[in-house]
Amino acid sequence: MIKVLELGKSFDGRPVVRHLSFEAPDGAITGLLGSNGAGKTTTLRMICGVLMPDAGSITMDDIASSGDPLARRRRVGALLDHIGIYSRLTVRENLLYFGRLRGMPPKLLTERVDQVISILGLESIAGRRTAGFSQGERMKTALGRAILHSPQNLLLDEPTNGLDVPTVRSLRNLLKRLRDSGTCVVFSSHVLDEVRALCDKVVVISSGSLIAQGSPTALCAQAGTASFEDAFIKLTCQPENYLC
Amino acid sequence: MLNQSLVIARKEVVDGLRDFRSVIASLLYALMGPLVVGLVSMAHPAGAQPGSSASILVGMMSVFTLVAAFVGGMNVAMDTVAGERERRSLLPLLLNPVRGQDLVLGKWLAVSLFSIAGLAINLLGFALVFATARLPVKIAWPGILLVIAFGIFPLPLLAASIQLLISTVCRGVKEAQTWLSLIVFLPMGIGLLLVFFPAARQIWCGFLPVVGQQLQLEVLMNGRQVQLLQPILLGCATVSLALLVLLFAANRLQRDEVIYGN
Repeated sequence: MIKVLELGKSFDGRPVVRHLSFEAPDGAITGLLGSNGAGKTTTLRMICGVLMPDAGSITMDDIASSGDPLARRRRVGALLDHIGIYSRLTVRENLLYFGRLRGMPPKLLTERVDQVISILGLESIAGRRTAGFSQGERMKTALGRAILHSPQNLLLDEPTNGLDVPTVRSLRNLLKRLRDSGTCVVFSSHVLDEVRALCDKVVVISSGSLIAQGSPTALCAQAGTASFEDAFIKLTCQPENYLC
Repeated sequence: MLNQSLVIARKEVVDGLRDFRSVIASLLYALMGPLVVGLVSMAHPAGAQPGSSASILVGMMSVFTLVAAFVGGMNVAMDTVAGERERRSLLPLLLNPVRGQDLVLGKWLAVSLFSIAGLAINLLGFALVFATARLPVKIAWPGILLVIAFGIFPLPLLAASIQLLISTVCRGVKEAQTWLSLIVFLPMGIGLLLVFFPAARQIWCGFLPVVGQQLQLEVLMNGRQVQLLQPILLGCATVSLALLVLLFAANRLQRDEVIYGN
């Protein structure tokens, strides 16, 4: 479970996240929605512990850890917008490296790597160096890296970018399985149909501030629209924006 | 934790060794000095060099050795941080529960290993040239081993630290390559200054990293008596500076712009 309270972050004096508060419960998929530059990625990076917030607090699994980024990194698995993998290592070597960094015992690590390779359908390329991989293959390897240590909290930043339809479908199924097993999944996406189909709860952000939160149905009701897309537009667009 | 640093170092070494072009380039850099001196000695057979020319030749050999200490790990240093940033694999690495100091320590161990290998290959190459070309150089055994171990070998550690720090500042391999190539001029410039302007040599220079190593190498290659204390103090000063630079690099990795700047 992730609780974010009054979170704030500025870059060079420019506020990117302002007084943001929300809760992502265990056993649920929470969607983070917002336009480009709304502050989703920065929020995810702060939750992961790679950026330090300027204000507010982050509680993970009932442990307040705002000042201890390592504690958050231990409890989280993340696939953020940077999905770089090591091109001179094989898929298996990439996964083993990150497992060792997390201090996984060798026997458990070997079993878990085999399991993840099987879950993501990477068997045929597991022994190949990742140089020349397609976007989908790279994304799957990066996803494997994020779920390898069976994290209680999984953060995904636009994870379906560049994936083909079968892979998107298998990713959705994987996220549902993780949710059903009690994992707290937070995921950002611009594909509203996907958010509506997957998310139990949606947090809408605009200009770094919370605009609304609730189930997709509740957000439609709040905006007074029939479609989720219309609700998103109505909630996030400023009146002066001619694109809205 | 040291364990995490060793995991990182191991990965970086494997990754670095699989980059064949960089390995071959580093090998050629390391052997450049012995090759040049070997060719000169073939053109001017043993004993042909008069005193001052021999002295300049010895000075040049030490410059080549200093440069070898700097170029051995250069490609790994630029790839391991700036390259990771460019390939967008640095952020996933920073997502792991690894302290910045441990991360930098691991990468430094790997870069240092390549730098030490470059220096060792260079020294072995010179040893081969000495043995075959009968240059006007007298090796002072066993002092040479002490000087190499305590005085000379800390230099690649410092080189690795400086290169890592520069690599953390750069956003990509090309930028890192530009700056790291310029850094090679540091030992080259200092070495040439001391060779052509011997008046610049002061006693305290012997305790300064890079300058001290140049002077130690010259002492060795001229077959002069080796002082025991000086290489040890020089080694301590060099390692201390290397660790200080490494702390700066670790601090730099924890700054926000490393995360959002790419």
